[in-house]
Amino acid sequence: MNGRKTFGGGGAGAGGGRGRAGQTQQGKDGKDGQRRPMFRRRKVCKFCADKIDDINYKDAKLLLPFVPERAKILPRRISGTCALHQRKLRVAIMRARVLALIPYTAE
Amino acid sequence: MNRKYELVYLVSPDASDDQVAELHTEVNDIVQRLGGQIEKTDNWGRRRLAYEIGRHKEATYVLEAINGSGDVLKEIDRRLKVSDLVIRHLIVRVDEDQNVIERTRTKRGEASRRRRIVRGLPPERQPGEGQRGEQDDDRDDRFDMTEDRR
Repeated sequence: MNGRKTFGGGGAGAGGGRGRAGQTQQGKDGKDGQRRPMFRRRKVCKFCADKIDDINYKDAKLLLPFVPERAKILPRRISGTCALHQRKLRVAIMRARVLALIPYTAE
Repeated sequence: MNRKYELVYLVSPDASDDQVAELHTEVNDIVQRLGGQIEKTDNWGRRRLAYEIGRHKEATYVLEAINGSGDVLKEIDRRLKVSDLVIRHLIVRVDEDQNVIERTRTKRGEASRRRRIVRGLPPERQPGEGQRGEQDDDRDDRFDMTEDRR
């Protein structure tokens, strides 16, 4: 469906310039034509994979990877978090911010 | 109607240990008076704040798990707002979330047991089975600004 999946048919994903660059290289490797030039790991939701049920606002160590550098919440499309867990994550991050466990912004 | 709440408050670093204890008894009094109980108190000690609150750069964190009606928490909220020593506080209702977590946990446990029986394995996981490091994580949840993975 979207071009980010590893096996999402090469042409369908409107992956910008990269998709076209791949077409010229494709002859090199005759693996069913499903290999993409830029290898992207299929993203999985960290919370589903690790079976973390409780996204708790007190657990700053869990939340920190989801607020990089500028301390903005990392979008789903980058982190790969599923919709359910992203909603819970958002609430937890907002609560943790109130308690100054994680920053609202980088100074 | 009794509900479960969590109260976290940040006490100014200027406060002495006695004053922190005094705040706890103050909260406890309110809870007792309005017919609730404190299930757990946890003093996280002094921590660095992620950002400055007022002019403070660190604070003492205290967590209280309270069982009671909304009125109890309303009164506590009012009192903590007035207090000069408490620089920040947060009240969260947790019973519903805990129910949801409990339910997903038991559901997952049952599903795994069923699958294991189908595969002819003993229903409970044996020690040393499964991926390494799945169970034994050292839960050292101290705040650490240096950790910023992408």
